[in-house]
Amino acid sequence: MEKLILLCLKCILLCSIVEAVFEDQVGKFDWRQQYVGKVRFAHFDTHMQSSKKVLLATENNVFASLNTRTGELLWRHVDMTGPEGNIDALLQYGQDAVLMVGNGRQLRSWDINVGGLNWEIVLDSGSFQSACLVGQQDFVKHVAVLKKTVISLHYLSNGHQKWVENLPESETVDYQAVYSGGNGEVYALGVVPHSHIAIVAYSLEDGEIIKQISVEAPWLSNIQASCAVIGQGMLTCVDSAAGSLYTLDLHEQSQMTQIPLQSLGLEVTPGFQPVLVSTQPNPARPPLSEFFLQLGPEHHLLLQLSDGQIVTLRDFKPAMLVAFATPGEKTVAAVMSPKNKTACSLNLFSAESGRRLLDTTLIFNLDPNGGKPEKLHVQAFLKKDDSVGYRVMVQTEDHMLTFIQQPGRVMWTRDEALSDVVTMEMVDLPLTGTQAELEGEFGKKADGLLSMLLKRLSSQVILLQAWIAHLWKMFYDARKPRSQVKNDVTIETLSRDEFNLQKMMVMVTASGKLFGIDSKTGSIVWRHYLDNIPSNAAFKLMVQRTTAHFPHPPQCTLLIKDKDTGLATLHVFNPIFGRKSHVTPPALPQPILQSLMLPLMDQDYAKVLLLVDDQYKVSAFPSTKNVLQQLQEMASSIFFYLVDSNQGRLSGYRLRTDLSTELIWEVVMPTEVQKIVSIKGKRPNEHVHSQGRVMGDRSVLYKYLNPNLLAVVTESTDLHQERSFIGILLIDGVTGRIIHEAVQRRTRGPVHVVHSENWVVYEYWSTKSRRNEFSVIELYEGMELYNSTVFSSLDRPHAPQVLQQSYIFPSSISAMEATLTEKGITSRHLLVGLPSGGILSLPKMFLDPRRPEIVTEQSREENLIPYAPELLIRTEWFINYNQTVSRVRGIYTAPSGLESTCLVVAYGLDIYQTRVYPSKQFDVLKDDYDYMLISSVLFALFFATMISKRLAEVKLLNRAWR
Amino acid sequence: MFYRERIPLLWVFVQAAVVVAWCFTDIETGPGAGVTLSNQPNGDRFKIEGRAIVPGVKTQDWVSTARILVEGEEYVGFVRTDGSFAVNDVPSGSYVVEIVTPNYRFEPVRVDITSKGKMRARLVNYIKTSEVIRQPYPLQVRANGPHTYFMKRETWGWTDFLMNPMVMMMVLPLLIIVLLPKVVNTNDPEMRKEMEQSMNMLNPNPELPDVSELMTKLFSGSKGSSKASSSSKGTRPAVKRR
Repeated sequence: MEKLILLCLKCILLCSIVEAVFEDQVGKFDWRQQYVGKVRFAHFDTHMQSSKKVLLATENNVFASLNTRTGELLWRHVDMTGPEGNIDALLQYGQDAVLMVGNGRQLRSWDINVGGLNWEIVLDSGSFQSACLVGQQDFVKHVAVLKKTVISLHYLSNGHQKWVENLPESETVDYQAVYSGGNGEVYALGVVPHSHIAIVAYSLEDGEIIKQISVEAPWLSNIQASCAVIGQGMLTCVDSAAGSLYTLDLHEQSQMTQIPLQSLGLEVTPGFQPVLVSTQPNPARPPLSEFFLQLGPEHHLLLQLSDGQIVTLRDFKPAMLVAFATPGEKTVAAVMSPKNKTACSLNLFSAESGRRLLDTTLIFNLDPNGGKPEKLHVQAFLKKDDSVGYRVMVQTEDHMLTFIQQPGRVMWTRDEALSDVVTMEMVDLPLTGTQAELEGEFGKKADGLLSMLLKRLSSQVILLQAWIAHLWKMFYDARKPRSQVKNDVTIETLSRDEFNLQKMMVMVTASGKLFGIDSKTGSIVWRHYLDNIPSNAAFKLMVQRTTAHFPHPPQCTLLIKDKDTGLATLHVFNPIFGRKSHVTPPALPQPILQSLMLPLMDQDYAKVLLLVDDQYKVSAFPSTKNVLQQLQEMASSIFFYLVDSNQGRLSGYRLRTDLSTELIWEVVMPTEVQKIVSIKGKRPNEHVHSQGRVMGDRSVLYKYLNPNLLAVVTESTDLHQERSFIGILLIDGVTGRIIHEAVQRRTRGPVHVVHSENWVVYEYWSTKSRRNEFSVIELYEGMELYNSTVFSSLDRPHAPQVLQQSYIFPSSISAMEATLTEKGITSRHLLVGLPSGGILSLPKMFLDPRRPEIVTEQSREENLIPYAPELLIRTEWFINYNQTVSRVRGIYTAPSGLESTCLVVAYGLDIYQTRVYPSKQFDVLKDDYDYMLISSVLFALFFATMISKRLAEVKLLNRAWR
Repeated sequence: MFYRERIPLLWVFVQAAVVVAWCFTDIETGPGAGVTLSNQPNGDRFKIEGRAIVPGVKTQDWVSTARILVEGEEYVGFVRTDGSFAVNDVPSGSYVVEIVTPNYRFEPVRVDITSKGKMRARLVNYIKTSEVIRQPYPLQVRANGPHTYFMKRETWGWTDFLMNPMVMMMVLPLLIIVLLPKVVNTNDPEMRKEMEQSMNMLNPNPELPDVSELMTKLFSGSKGSSKASSSSKGTRPAVKRR
């Protein structure tokens, strides 16, 4: 019975605090962008003439189909991360796409129209080498898979294995390629490095070895890198050392024919490994006898192999990229060559003759803030008059895809770098020019009363003008149909709105490309590609100066650190325009251990960035005299901590006046037992509105609000499920005092932590009960506050009271963050990214260690929810409704100008931006506010008073006459 | 708070031991919770199979957005064009299998795999983790409707306003006061008699004092003591003023 009451109570409470999206708000202030990642394989769907699909398999283990007209996703399949989901090969035939996944572990066939799986089979383990479609008599019915030791043939219709054969002498021979020319034989090509090539021909019917030859090739080490099968089964290889081509007929010869490049009048660019590019338009037929030979970074040749002789069809110099495409019967080659510094030109050539096709020039404009072109994917098609038309998808170094139509019209672009956002910040937009002028008026020194008045009047007139222009525009736009009104976002039109809801999202991606995105529309305002970013770089983005200090431009600093060497560089830029700043950052010759932003500002209102190098020396940026002086004054109160997770050491330092440091505390975690996995401090821009909580008996429980508190999470090194544990340590970052320590036994990571106000919430996996659990720690000072005016870590004699409670969570999570508002009055919610793609807004109220097990009068007075072990996931709490976000890696929250509103950006494979109202919109009129009703009531009342007044007058008059 | 947690856990443990002894012939995986999740480098890998059904919707309309998640995103599977699915390469252990689509809701299922590859499916119960309510294996998961993501807006209508109990309470007495005297002619002596009769009917016990009488008494009484009350009223502000 008691349980029932509890349940009822819970339901009532749940209903009362439900906060969800309304259906009419869809797309109003939220947007989602879906990405696939850096493209590894791309195939245009050519089996139908009118098809507008391109299949992409990416390095992020995503297989997707795009609409070539718009660049939007038709469907997308996101596999596991890591090597298990790695896509090794993509083959396409008709409306089936065959994918090799997980180093040859799984073979999948997808229906590209529906986006559903046709079949899926598991292959025996063994490292994957190559795969190809096998056809016979113009029909492709099989797919051959070559692994280190075996070759197998599968039916394309159902994936069943037709035969599997062990490769002969697989211990010594490194089999690397598989080839089939449509004559009922499957060739496995292997190499013994610097000795010979091994060729095994299998019968398509039963897998019997028809032929086995070994050919001397002491110069060859890798078939895939330097060989290709050309024409009627001619294996052609290129040797850069001898500068010659070798050909071998797979059917007959047992000797390679050497053709020196010099005999063709060619020469290899020194230090360049030549590459052969061949094409096999139909897997049931042998490859074409024309092929490309790349001799230098910008030197390509179209060659033809006929009767063992090599003929040069055309020499392309300079040519950066080449690609074959086959619309219908004839094959064409697209060649990209540089035109000038900012543009490249593309041309089509007939593969047979090397002749240039008329009217096929296409101009590709290089983005000065982007990378160089890297790959060319050509979609060629036959026009009505049988001439060849084409579109190209250019892939650049910064993972960007650009789809271009003749004569150079960009149909769409996709910034796939955004699939890998590492860190981001939201920066307030600047004021408009007129507003800035008004602001500027206050900044200047007063020069007379009259001139001030005049200035004020003139600026007011300007404002009025702007307002009228705005009204006119609104009126003008209102007459146009809605679809036509497209407010193009440019830097000029960007300005801060009344409630500061529109901001600039500065996103840093792993590829080293920076983006500035307008948070309202999601359109990319600027891009900036930083080259020479190490592949294992760690990024930290800091806002040194906000837009509040007009006329000084806002300034962001990106710290790029090589994880291996520790060497770092700084990139200073303007977050609104994306331009590199004139301020030259200091050169950092020493590895950097820690960086910290101080609340100090220099005379230009730029916050001071301190960098600690491995000699424990501190350098400041900017390092003007003013700053150094301020630092010297403040030095005794500047503390910082360093973490060495390899040695399990956590140490606190203090700054000396000469900018050297001194060690003041050290905590060592024995690395044999546990390792530090994460450290979370509080966010510096967080405000806490109330110092305490009012209890049921009207007393106040004061929060322990230590701004220097660090939450250190450790995981046991022993991963056995009986002995593994996670630990959480609350340490004061200034004194090194351990405030609290908790250990959760029989649990393991990954641990997600949120640390804010006086609470820490963390999530872990319980190996004992095989479920995810949330735990919350709250710290309270008690009923009295020790020093209510200021918090000092050095003067807090009483240890705080610690309350903790745990809950079951019915899903694993991928990211977690707390909402943040301007003044901290609004109640907090936790935003939890789930693997299913939902972002759950979980009220902090549910994670409250004071939730009672037995409901009392007092707890009811306090609005505490009775304890229930399981937290619920309600789809109404998903802030992104059905706009799922794949692989959420981080959630960024930023306050807006409205206290009720918090801006949220979830990033992972996708990017989703929205606003949340944790306590509903208490400071704004609701969206569905009924203006009609209120105005009609007002008018009705007004007229009623008028009429009744009139009536009363008449009555009075009548009475007077009586 | 710990006390309460502990008892079910103990119960779970006992239950788990019993369950394992019953359903599994090999107890090498250890009691209940002891089914391993740790990485076995050479351990056998198994396949979780099943079928997802969305009643009334063609499979090609939803399979491209569906994924099978095993224990979060640890293992991922995809749905075939006919709605069936398989998740390959799963080592022995106990897993929660979820079918995730943005539009349809599926109940998760817990699948246990022994080290010999024996499979069984049961309902997910996070509180009593070893409770076994069998589900069919290979899995047959039926969508129970679309996800509800949105709240209904409160709409303002005249009927809602009028049906509000507060409004009803105010409007109805008003109607009675205004309309009744007009409808019923109180001056008619017959009518008056009838009314008195009906009043008597309503008052089955004539001994009980009539409400109206009581009220008149009260008011006349208050009139009598009005002097006293007014004097007391007069003093009160004085007290306050002090």
